[in-house]
Amino acid sequence: MKKQIVRFTLNGTPREFAVAANDLLLNVIREQEKLTGTKYGCGIGECGACTVHVDGRPVLSCLKLAVEAEGCEVVTIEGLAQGRELDPLQRSFLDNNAVQCGYCTPGMIMIGRTLLDETPNPTEEEVRSHMRGQLCRCTGYASIAKAVMGAGEYETKAFRMPAE
Amino acid sequence: MLSTELKSVGDASWRKDGLSKVTGSEKYAPDVSVDRMWHGRVLRSPHAHARIVSVDTSAAEALGAVCLTYDDVPKMRYNERIVSTPPCLYRDRTVVADKARHVGEAVLAVAAPTEELAERALRAVRVEYAPLQVITTMEQALKDGADPIHDTVLLDGKDVPIRNNVAVQRTIDVGDVEKGFAEAELVFERTFRTSRIYHAQMEPKTVTCRPEIDGGITVWCSTQSIHNTRILLGQIYGLPLNKVNVVKVALGGAFGSSIQMNSVTPICVGLALKAGRPVKIASTREEDMHDHVRYPSQITLKLGVRKDGTLVAGEMRAEIDIGAHNIQAYPFLGGLGGFWASLYKLPNMKYSGRAIYSNKTPSCAMQGFGAPQAHFAVECLMDEIAHALGLDPVDYKLRHYVGLGGTFWGQGPASKCIIRSDGVPELLRTGAEKIGWDKRPKPGSQTGRMRRGIGMARGFHTSGVGHAKASGAEMIDYSGAIVKLNEDGTLDLIQSLMDHGGGTNHAIAKIVADEIGVPGHMVGISPCDTRTSLYDVTTHATRGVYAGGAAALKAAKSVKAQILHWAARVLDVLPESLVIEPDDNLGQGVVYCPNLAERRMTVGDVARYLHINSLGTISASESMRQVNCPPAYVSYFVEVEVDTETGQIHTRRAALGSDCGTVVNPALASGQLVGGLSKGQGYALIEDNHWDPVTGELASKGFWVDGKTPSMAEAPLADDIMTHFAHTYEPTGPFGAKGVGEAAKNPAIAAFANAVHNALGIRFYEVPITPEKVLAALAGQEAQQRDTSKGRARTAPAPVAE
Repeated sequence: MKKQIVRFTLNGTPREFAVAANDLLLNVIREQEKLTGTKYGCGIGECGACTVHVDGRPVLSCLKLAVEAEGCEVVTIEGLAQGRELDPLQRSFLDNNAVQCGYCTPGMIMIGRTLLDETPNPTEEEVRSHMRGQLCRCTGYASIAKAVMGAGEYETKAFRMPAE
Repeated sequence: MLSTELKSVGDASWRKDGLSKVTGSEKYAPDVSVDRMWHGRVLRSPHAHARIVSVDTSAAEALGAVCLTYDDVPKMRYNERIVSTPPCLYRDRTVVADKARHVGEAVLAVAAPTEELAERALRAVRVEYAPLQVITTMEQALKDGADPIHDTVLLDGKDVPIRNNVAVQRTIDVGDVEKGFAEAELVFERTFRTSRIYHAQMEPKTVTCRPEIDGGITVWCSTQSIHNTRILLGQIYGLPLNKVNVVKVALGGAFGSSIQMNSVTPICVGLALKAGRPVKIASTREEDMHDHVRYPSQITLKLGVRKDGTLVAGEMRAEIDIGAHNIQAYPFLGGLGGFWASLYKLPNMKYSGRAIYSNKTPSCAMQGFGAPQAHFAVECLMDEIAHALGLDPVDYKLRHYVGLGGTFWGQGPASKCIIRSDGVPELLRTGAEKIGWDKRPKPGSQTGRMRRGIGMARGFHTSGVGHAKASGAEMIDYSGAIVKLNEDGTLDLIQSLMDHGGGTNHAIAKIVADEIGVPGHMVGISPCDTRTSLYDVTTHATRGVYAGGAAALKAAKSVKAQILHWAARVLDVLPESLVIEPDDNLGQGVVYCPNLAERRMTVGDVARYLHINSLGTISASESMRQVNCPPAYVSYFVEVEVDTETGQIHTRRAALGSDCGTVVNPALASGQLVGGLSKGQGYALIEDNHWDPVTGELASKGFWVDGKTPSMAEAPLADDIMTHFAHTYEPTGPFGAKGVGEAAKNPAIAAFANAVHNALGIRFYEVPITPEKVLAALAGQEAQQRDTSKGRARTAPAPVAE
């Protein structure tokens, strides 16, 4: 299929990609950019594993055409940490043991982040309502809910990853 | 070592793979890509049962695709799960099928430079099918004259005919069951049914294969055992094992569905070998849902008791619809019978199990294997007996369960051991207190729209399938580990054992750290593959920490002895006088002599001394099999709320207990229980799969939402899920540990059914207990109450016979 150029900011860097009209944002991120933290889980918007941020909003990248991202700010799980510093929600996921197999984790963190941006200290009901479209088969969700609710505690405490 | 001396075991450190998982840098099978890689797609049968008359791939090849048909693959029949030993291994499949036996069965495959071109090539392939009788029920399968789904299967080198589509039968007899029932004063008999639910692991099965210049292959795939995958691929494609390298990558959940080599793996290898270049096959979710489901069950359980409740005889008949292939029906049937035998003391028992083929998605292991099915029947019937006799179910079960000193059947009659650790009384008393067991309502006493009920069930899973016999095993069960000391005093743990996500590898690293006496962060988990690691059978049967951890402990003991040997030389003391302890300030292990305090050095100093003096690397490579299979006990108390207008059942609270011996990763072990509740709730209340009786098609068509995997919205509030652990020590486990993860789900469906009975006074013998079933049962109850109040004869089934 004929390719066209799409331009968007990916994790803070302006980028250009040659894409077909039917290329999904998910596949461009994973296959062209090799950012494999964004997962394919179902391809039809049932599980949320492919969640990324587009202009600060949670988007299912398996349902988004790459050409639709023209001019947008796209952030993936790899772009969430600032340099070597973890996002507070990433840290909260670790402290709350909200990670088991980890396959749903990037999507969970990305959608949880968008809730925290609007509501820094969400109630459990708010978390459940915001994240009900995300599937996890391992954890039973309690640890994930606690991680999102507790992330506010880390907003002021930085954690640096071990040195490169 | 006393548990009080353990530093890493039992601590709350971040799991070692945590950082890579929260940052998206962890690599799973779908994340693998290699240079010059093509993409494979699989042609799947639209027919449930059909002969393949002809295949024409010329149009696909004209598009530049490489095609793999039945004519291209080795004709060797194999079983994809080589955990069972050859006499117990029923081989009934080939890489691609000679005949379509279920909708979604792989008929052929294509590879092309892009996934899009591969898909176009797939659509250009022409296959002519001659449809056969579609068999979707056990009754149809067993009927005389039914089309055979398999004519023969291969068993231990012999071609064995399949009659009436019966794949396997097993019987187990203990004592004299006729005499036992003759002594019974009351007999209870019920039939229980469980469904064929989907595993719903987040990672769809994916594989990449790269042919190597020496004729070998490198494979990255979804699997619970890299070594079994390697052995099978070597057998199928006639490759020596030193030319088959399967690489360990993170597993995005499996829950049993990758104990076997997944169907796409050998197909991808066949395509890559034919194309002479790397090929990747990434299953779609739809394909994955057509590939594996849980073993269902239909179990008739009859228990004979004395008036005081003492069990005198039991009979269980189990019939299992295994779908189109026999992946592990033989061990399943054995496991089912063995789990039943291990729940309550039964002097006389008779068990018969039968596994039947159908034209549906093949069944395979799923968390708990046959245990949830056995627990459902036994725990519900024991609850019913307790109620009939006016006994408290908790007290009744505590009086008759198989505990300390009893015999536990790890997974069928071939794996048995004496029970040496038993936290059941503590689990049940604590759970009862936490949930408020004594304050639960009387069954059927409520009248409002919303009715709450509390139910309990208990049980276990085995920790591995180890046993004492030197030969004649039904299953392979051993693990290996390599531990080496690096030149700065850090250690590498090299182990092929797969972590499903429960934190198994992290737990084993802690065991190694504590045995040697270094801080937990000093032990790293090495990436590895089949070439650089020792064999591990597979992560199943909750054996990871118990069996895999024991192998690593054995290697760690050897490494420790070597460290002490060299430190003793340097410090000029006897090795027996030295100890190693982690020093938090130094962030190191310190070797010292308690009697001569100045004689001390760090483990790093020992390593550096060895290095600069060219004395070699301290390392150990050990392999071992556990000779026991201790029960990892678990208890479930759940509170449900039933909406009698909609029929919906909400899970409100739960108190979940685990006796996993020493708790190596407390928060992660607790997470196993909470995850077990979520999956158990789905299994009990909503999840199901249906196949069209005419076409044999999966009614969901592969849409995940129709599989009804529970979401966060259906979970109880986080603080309403309480977990607790028994204070036990398993003498045969590493630092007293036994299994946890699989047990975490086993009593769930029984606990839910008992809770619903407590809320409504109605017993359900089939899961899922859907809103439709609840409303129908309530209508029946109402009609019955009307009839009773008008003095008419009761039509409800009487719970007690004789």
